[in-house]
Amino acid sequence: MELPVLNETPAASAGGCSSHSCGSSDDQLGHLSDEIRAKVENHPCYSEDAHHYFARMHVAVAPACNIQCHYCNRKYDCSNESRPGVVSELLTPEQAVKKTMAVAANIPQMTVLGIAGPGDPLANPERTFETFRRLSQDAPDIKLCVSTNGLALPESVEELSKHNIDHVTITINCVDPEIGAQIYPWIFWENKRIKGVKGAKILIEQQQKGLEMLTARGILVKVNSVMIPGVNDKHLAEVSKIVKAKGAFLHNVMPLIAEAEHGTFYGVMGQRGPTQDELMDLQDACSGDMNMMRHCRQCRADAVGLLGEDRGDEFTMDKIEAMEIDYQSAMEKRKVIHEAIAEEMHSKRAAKAEKAASHADEPKLNTRPVLMAIATSGQGVINQHFGHAKEFLIYEASPDGVRFMSHRKTDLYCSGDDTCGDGESVLQRTIRALEGCEVVLCSKIGYEPWDMLEQAGIQPNGEHAMEPIEDAVMAVYKEMAAAGKLDESNAEQRATA
Amino acid sequence: MALQIIESCVNCYACEPLCPSKAIFMSSKAGHFRINPNKCTECEGDYQDTQCASICPIEGAILDANGIAVNPPGSLTGIPPERMAEVMAELQAH
Repeated sequence: MELPVLNETPAASAGGCSSHSCGSSDDQLGHLSDEIRAKVENHPCYSEDAHHYFARMHVAVAPACNIQCHYCNRKYDCSNESRPGVVSELLTPEQAVKKTMAVAANIPQMTVLGIAGPGDPLANPERTFETFRRLSQDAPDIKLCVSTNGLALPESVEELSKHNIDHVTITINCVDPEIGAQIYPWIFWENKRIKGVKGAKILIEQQQKGLEMLTARGILVKVNSVMIPGVNDKHLAEVSKIVKAKGAFLHNVMPLIAEAEHGTFYGVMGQRGPTQDELMDLQDACSGDMNMMRHCRQCRADAVGLLGEDRGDEFTMDKIEAMEIDYQSAMEKRKVIHEAIAEEMHSKRAAKAEKAASHADEPKLNTRPVLMAIATSGQGVINQHFGHAKEFLIYEASPDGVRFMSHRKTDLYCSGDDTCGDGESVLQRTIRALEGCEVVLCSKIGYEPWDMLEQAGIQPNGEHAMEPIEDAVMAVYKEMAAAGKLDESNAEQRATA
Repeated sequence: MALQIIESCVNCYACEPLCPSKAIFMSSKAGHFRINPNKCTECEGDYQDTQCASICPIEGAILDANGIAVNPPGSLTGIPPERMAEVMAELQAH
């Protein structure tokens, strides 16, 4: 018996509606028009499918900010940190263009250049737009994106629409100024610092106005929200509803990152981030109203590479200065590679759709869902050694099929465990990150981690190396079902164990 | 009458374009932005509030003519200074 894969709805599904995908928002792009799908299908940040194949980069040209968020500390800069707002090297627009072209020539699957900080890109309009202007001229095959807190968005829409920018991300954490005042201590507005509810109200109005102006012009808008337990967690479902009504095409709920050593308000005051379960529950609650995004990696403002990896060290300014880039020939090479990837993605999608259709009439299993963790370095297959995985993709298998849930980093904030260590080994930390999963699928795994995983109640499995992720997850799920491991009574046993 | 930017400046550039007197410059010697005291007017006649001190995100980085922080500890982040001291001491003890 074969079960369908939920995440992937074929592009040509407009005519029919299979019982498995209808009403499901698990395919985050499934509800989009063909036109929008075509725009985002090679964008790793917007398409869960694309993020296995295509890479992105951020250039840190925008240091200034016009607001303060309680999860940000403008003093912080650490090369071991991986989270938004952190960079190691500020670039001039000229340097940023050079870096972008160097990366594009060396990592041909890089399709997207974003400006995301470390401050707010639209609070640095000259530096941001100079970078966009030059890139749309010199490297027309690169998609340009920008993310913003929204305060200066309405005044920037005109300029944004002039460039090759068809995606904008707005971080919207609330639509209620009272909640906003607990997230944003101040904004800088019309030559004054405005604190508290008054400032938050202006920010919210500007964000909503900017969102409406962008969608009216046909510019795609993704909304990011930081989930802050006890502050806006109950409120975000409403935010999701409102931004969708105003035309945002994707909502990305991200967990708060707050540690005392970051020196942020939330970190120092002991505000906790959400658990994996709380985050998934909220994403599920919002998904009734909105296409949810679950594969966001909360990248640094100078990240380079596939999501989840950072090759920024290969492209520091001193290394780039030494590179000779012939962009014309690089562009030709890139075109060939992009077409090959698109073809591979399309054929995989078509194969999945065909498989799902051919098994549509089979009886449904009556078993409980299972979370599985996957070690992969891309291409949508299980191809990474357990010990090399810096993150795991989490999939849920259930009688309804397989769906991507989230990713979990094993080194969430810091890779310098000698300096920041609290005595917990990398392996222990990894196992803790996999809490709630019952299976780990990887290409290979050593004896020691095998034993430790088993002790933690997680079954390691290296038998599906190089297989497509969804196929392998479903195969393992069916093995578990056949072995009687998935009866509800077993689930109760697990819960009380 | 002039404000002063001191070494805790993080070079975020936010203040520089706002200055009505073009008094703010990047000092390569100091390694951070500074204010030319001969040009600074404390925004008198231009704005009600001093612009650099109204956008600066770093507490204590801008001093007034008396050498007192325009944005004292806790005023921008909302973190009570004693809480910050406590947490920092705890982190250092590890």
